[in-house]
Amino acid sequence: MSDWEPKIASFLCNWCSYGAADLAGVGRMEYPPNIRVIRIPCAGRMSPKFFLAALTQGADGVWVSG
Amino acid sequence: MGLAKRKAIYVQYAQAVPLKYTIDKANCIYFIKKGKCGACKKICPTGAVDFDQKEEIVTLNVGSVILSPGFAPFDPTVFDAYQYAKLPNVVTAMEFERVLSASGPTMGHLVRASDQKEPKKIAWFQCVGSRDMNKCDNSYCSSVCCMYAIKEAVIAKEHAGKDLDCAVFFMDMRTHGKEFERFYTTAKDKHGIRFIRCRVHTINPVAGTDDLEIRYITETGELKTEIFDQIVLSVGLQIKPEIAELAKRLGIELTEGRFCKTETFEPVATSREGIFVCGVFQGPKDIPQAVIDASAAASAAGEILSEARNTLIKHKEAVTETNITGERPRIGVFVCRCGINIAGVVDVPKVAEYAKTLPYVEFTTDNLYSCSQDTQENMAQIIKKERLNRVVVAACTPKTHEPLFQETLTNAGLNKYLFEMANIRNQDSWVHKSNPELATEKAIDLVRMAVAKVALMEPLKEAELEVNQTAVVIGGGIAGMSAAKSLAKQGYETHIIEKGKCLGGQALNIFRTPKGEDIAEKLSGLVDEITKDQKIHVHLDSAITSVDGFVGNFKSTISSNGKNDVLEHGIAIIATGASAFKPSEYNYGKDPRIMTSLELDKKFMEKDPSLKKIDSAVFIQCVGSREPDRLYCSRVCCTHSIDNAIELKKINPDMNVYVLYRDIRTYGEREYLYKKARGMGIIFIRYSVDNKPEVKPEGEKIMVGVTDHILGRRLSLEADIVTLATAVIPNRDEKLANFFKVPVNDDGFFIERHAKLGPSEFATDGVFLCGLAHYPKPIDESIAQGMAAASRAVTLLARKKIHTSGTIAETMPAVCSSCGVCVSICPYSAPSFIEETARFFPGKAQINPVLCKGCGLCVASCRSGAIRLKGFDNDQIFAQIYELSKAV
Amino acid sequence: MEHMGVEPGRLSFSWISSAESTKFVDVVKDVTATVKALGPNNNFKKAADKVT
Repeated sequence: MSDWEPKIASFLCNWCSYGAADLAGVGRMEYPPNIRVIRIPCAGRMSPKFFLAALTQGADGVWVSG
Repeated sequence: MGLAKRKAIYVQYAQAVPLKYTIDKANCIYFIKKGKCGACKKICPTGAVDFDQKEEIVTLNVGSVILSPGFAPFDPTVFDAYQYAKLPNVVTAMEFERVLSASGPTMGHLVRASDQKEPKKIAWFQCVGSRDMNKCDNSYCSSVCCMYAIKEAVIAKEHAGKDLDCAVFFMDMRTHGKEFERFYTTAKDKHGIRFIRCRVHTINPVAGTDDLEIRYITETGELKTEIFDQIVLSVGLQIKPEIAELAKRLGIELTEGRFCKTETFEPVATSREGIFVCGVFQGPKDIPQAVIDASAAASAAGEILSEARNTLIKHKEAVTETNITGERPRIGVFVCRCGINIAGVVDVPKVAEYAKTLPYVEFTTDNLYSCSQDTQENMAQIIKKERLNRVVVAACTPKTHEPLFQETLTNAGLNKYLFEMANIRNQDSWVHKSNPELATEKAIDLVRMAVAKVALMEPLKEAELEVNQTAVVIGGGIAGMSAAKSLAKQGYETHIIEKGKCLGGQALNIFRTPKGEDIAEKLSGLVDEITKDQKIHVHLDSAITSVDGFVGNFKSTISSNGKNDVLEHGIAIIATGASAFKPSEYNYGKDPRIMTSLELDKKFMEKDPSLKKIDSAVFIQCVGSREPDRLYCSRVCCTHSIDNAIELKKINPDMNVYVLYRDIRTYGEREYLYKKARGMGIIFIRYSVDNKPEVKPEGEKIMVGVTDHILGRRLSLEADIVTLATAVIPNRDEKLANFFKVPVNDDGFFIERHAKLGPSEFATDGVFLCGLAHYPKPIDESIAQGMAAASRAVTLLARKKIHTSGTIAETMPAVCSSCGVCVSICPYSAPSFIEETARFFPGKAQINPVLCKGCGLCVASCRSGAIRLKGFDNDQIFAQIYELSKAV
Repeated sequence: MEHMGVEPGRLSFSWISSAESTKFVDVVKDVTATVKALGPNNNFKKAADKVT
């Protein structure tokens, strides 16, 4: 289990967190490579269906950020 | 630059426009040996090589000319003590920049020239060819070198790892640009870059090695010897002699630094009517300032040519869109290397190879730079040839590059929404560089998710809408007025909304410009011009209380004196300005002799007789600026205080005038003032932020205590007046930011679309930015940015029609239960009920495609599942979720 | 959520503005650490999948 790396479905708002993620890249800040970003137009687009689907489809965590 | 060999036929650089090969005449055998060789002509399949091309003289009939001839980096060969020509490891900053570049001679691998060894210690020498009258004739400050040296040091550490020792030797650290002070602090505190205040005299080679020895004096007065592997000379900017010649031919005046002479109130106009200037030829400056200038010059040219607009226009032929209805998806995947930005971390060929195995993928390849012009053309060819009907580009971020690739699709006859990007640079290679394996795995996942989504994409239509030809400028200061003036001159009705009782803003409080122009006089001329202009409508004592609508069709409520008016406009320019900080330190407010810079200006304007009686004056710089809770430089105060100090000295040459400073930041040709001030006997004493001066009124005098760094002693100065150069504080306006949906940074300044390339506009369409609301700046720069914002706005107004996004919500009325949740929840009021009398689906919800911003709030709230968000549809997001954790 | 068999730590919400890259990185680190501590998400997998 030591080399197990979780996959985290990350729903990021295009205007907020997605921008912050890009900026973190520009700043070459390092962070764990476990998130898998799904760009959504706005956190309002988020529906419980999505994170339930992610968890049932094998994602180890879900992160929603507006 | 002579760092590496290249062929006699070459491309200038990888992103050159146009990206075409050229022959180096000085090295081509055909030209040197008169007709021998010529192999390239024989081998070229398209017959593009033509040795007989001659210089042609073309005559153009134009209404105005814009000069942007740029600069040449200073050649440090004349500095014999630095032995640049002799020592291979003494390089210029430009050469070092190439070594750091992925497309440079070492592919971005940091090695020194003499032995290809990775350096362990690098030093930067500032002000080489700037602020120097002894070894060269450039007494001005080049404005950009401090910042580029810090940037190079940070990137060098990024390339070589934490152990690399970087030291910057400087005189004054000039990080006066937006976010620069923060960058400087991070470089010092987080990256551990050493900053040493000393101008080093000589570089000596260390016998038997390629290393370099220098001697310098530390701040405590200690003489030190240190050995470096490499020394970078931060060379200044200068105007080429042939440009000075050109200026002479054109009959335009130059400054003593050989830059183009301009007036503060006409920052891009040369001394000859109809000829404008931008970029470094106008004065040493960095990229954002050059971009502002460029837009301002375009505006200035547009003002005098507005009648001729669109008379010589040619229309681009639209490519007809291929109908792909009913076709099975044929996906093309393009994986970008982005030089080494991506390929240095992520295994790009592996990702491309993997993409081939995905369903519906018919074509994959990798590109060195996907965004370069030839790759774009190539991609369009591939799309046509392979009959691709869906495209995935795995590269940087869609936030900056999606429009570019979508245009490629359009050019290839494909609907631009049949496209998806996988963000494998900003959100992968750049942030996981110490973990290439997992980064590659992540890239593979992201590509798989993108492919799954794009397969479900469908062609989308965009609505066309008219652009209202009226403009609104919020703020009637110098920047706002300049923007309004420029818009009106280009033919647009413009409204200025000013919260105060008169136009003018902060300029009303300032005595004169550093160039000696009387501000009150120039300002009243400008105000007069604005009030007389038929196209400009000034609303004083007014504020915006609500904003509806969107780009091209805003509807704002303006409240003036309790009266509300609704104004329809196509664009808005935010010029809400800033004001002077009122400090609580230095006993300010407790004694009238302790005042802010603007209060001293007021005394000058009123010709206050008490000024003649002063024997001693002290200026304190950086009051409220460059401190932990306000980590920015207010940019204008050094020049302002020095100019005021000179004025005091003129009133009474026997007066003792002291300026207490942290770094003097008289950037560009403002440096002459600093020199002049020292020549007049004004005394400059440096203090550090953790050992600030003390100000205490004591009877007749005010006692100012300061620790002198050179003497290492506490000094006590007797002063009659103390002037505090206080920070520029933005008029933070969260409400306005909210109305137009534009961001504000921690300091309260608005955040522009792009720090370098989009300084005068917002990411929100149709909203522009200028003046102090963007960042502290002197009058000439405020005017230039006002004109720049107008210029950017005109690019939109002149189009008359724009297209909305295709990624919007759409109802399926057959499923709709008419509950009304979407109607009440939408922040943009896009959904409404279809009229009861309508023939089809009366009472069901519909969405106005123009108002819809595509946020998806209604989609998530719809209990009947009757709303789809095109481009972010349920099945598309589910496809991404399903693919997310599939085993590779 | 717990009712449906999801440990609370698996689902995170946050609000980050486009200028807050430092906060973004901090949240990513937090979220990843929390999920790592919980171990692989097997709750929803079928018994057959558990073997692998």
